[in-house]
Amino acid sequence: MSNLAENIIPDQEPKIVIRNIGRTFHIKKSPAGPHDFVALQEISLEVQKGEFVALVGPSGCGKSTLLDILAGLAKPNSGAVFIDGKQVTGPALDRGIVLQGYALFPWRTVRQNVEFGLEIKKVAKGERREISTRFIDLVGLKGFEDRFPHELSGGMKQRVAIARALAYDPEVLLMDEPFAAVDAQTRETLQDELLRIWEETRKTIIFVTHSIEEAVFLADRVAVLTANPGTVREIVPIDLPRPRQNSDIRSSPEFGWTRHKIWELLQNQPPADHRAGEQRPVADAISPSAAL
Amino acid sequence: MNTKDIIIRRIILLAIVLLAWETLPRLGVINPLFIPPLSGVITALRELAGNGEMATHAAISLQRAALGFAAGAVLGLPLGLVLGGWFPRLQTALEPLMELFAQANPLILFHVIILFLGIGEAAKTFIIGWLCLWPVTFATITGVRTADPTLLKAARSLGLGRAGLFVRVTLPAAAPSIVTGLRLAAGYAFIMLIAAEMMGASSGLGWLVIQAQESYHITRIFAGAFVITLLAITADWLLKLLGGRFLSRVESGADDYVRMQGSAGKI
Repeated sequence: MSNLAENIIPDQEPKIVIRNIGRTFHIKKSPAGPHDFVALQEISLEVQKGEFVALVGPSGCGKSTLLDILAGLAKPNSGAVFIDGKQVTGPALDRGIVLQGYALFPWRTVRQNVEFGLEIKKVAKGERREISTRFIDLVGLKGFEDRFPHELSGGMKQRVAIARALAYDPEVLLMDEPFAAVDAQTRETLQDELLRIWEETRKTIIFVTHSIEEAVFLADRVAVLTANPGTVREIVPIDLPRPRQNSDIRSSPEFGWTRHKIWELLQNQPPADHRAGEQRPVADAISPSAAL
Repeated sequence: MNTKDIIIRRIILLAIVLLAWETLPRLGVINPLFIPPLSGVITALRELAGNGEMATHAAISLQRAALGFAAGAVLGLPLGLVLGGWFPRLQTALEPLMELFAQANPLILFHVIILFLGIGEAAKTFIIGWLCLWPVTFATITGVRTADPTLLKAARSLGLGRAGLFVRVTLPAAAPSIVTGLRLAAGYAFIMLIAAEMMGASSGLGWLVIQAQESYHITRIFAGAFVITLLAITADWLLKLLGGRFLSRVESGADDYVRMQGSAGKI
């Protein structure tokens, strides 16, 4: 079994260090009166260069908040994020982000969307065109350069969003449930494509999802998060052979076993001292498809 | 149903209405003194066009409408951008007051304005500008405020600053709404123009219509109304053309729908 995590020199400096992240929201209006909601508590995680890490957990476990903090779009109340040893203080072009809602600019063509980050980076026009052509090719949208987003299907829009995030050459790709809004078949195709793109570009990817199956299929390691408060329950290494794309790996016993293990982790409650009062099975909060 | 069919149907319907206009007064179904037949209106139009009267009055009217519209747009756009984009709290506080200004009856207001500015061009420009100001301002605020937050988030993740976000994301996202506001304002401009010219002017299409009414030239009333409508439709069409740049690119645009229906019919 070849696994990327094994190829990494153990004492190498991690690409991303997440240290003791805490994030609390003050809720002013609620039936229970004003109170503090702990979205994230003592989150720590290290990600190696070129690694694919998935964050999986029920809704409300703070996984999207964590991604926003990694992107520099939100600030933690405590703890810090370091990329290449430098603390993250705000958004920057060293990280690319892909959101669930595509977030394509409707007034821009596919090419203009892909070139958006390059314009901000002040890349010259000729070079921009060359780069956008390359990444539109990479995501398989050759011939659609001059289409507008409303002329594309959901799967195609997400390909454009991926090309846009990759075009300005960030080292880290942050993906927030990017395939949640597309149908099951398109979703599997996009997962295959993402793995191919990842292997071609060698980006470090942090991928948020609520689908256990998706996390197991894609990632080198899966960080299992639980809610109330959002904490890392366990980090599960995925020892499945690569390349996994265009293979029948989903029906292998190892795949099923790993998926089941994560499902159990999400179902079994963490120790009681962490969650006084609110005894809610975490699996209930996960979409039914995730537990399939 | 393809585009060609739609156009044919529209032409047929229009022809039926015009034919009824011509024949019903002639047959005496409608009193021709109140609604003269189409041919009579055309004769009056040719007469007014021939002696240059129509062109003179249309030109002065158009100038008034354009001036008022321009004033409203030039003030309303930045006002909407600043209030919607930079001072949302001030905007919320000002909203009832702005609503009041927008709803205040302009015909009554016009008499107050005349007290200050006299009965000349300034008062007319002011009242038309005033009426155009609000739809432009409100539409701009709405456009800025309803800019898709995920677009802003995606752009912000690239490290784009406040000014950059505004120019590259908020403004283009608000453009369709702004164009709608401008089209509304243009419509208001023509309505107010005629009212203002009827209340106090010695030239313009509104004055022409009032004159015709007082001298029982009913065909001239219709001729005046025809030219006013033509100008208003042309103005709207021009703004639509300008806005088409943005509007056609927005999801589920009406024009796209027509085109899609057209191509689906051909397959």
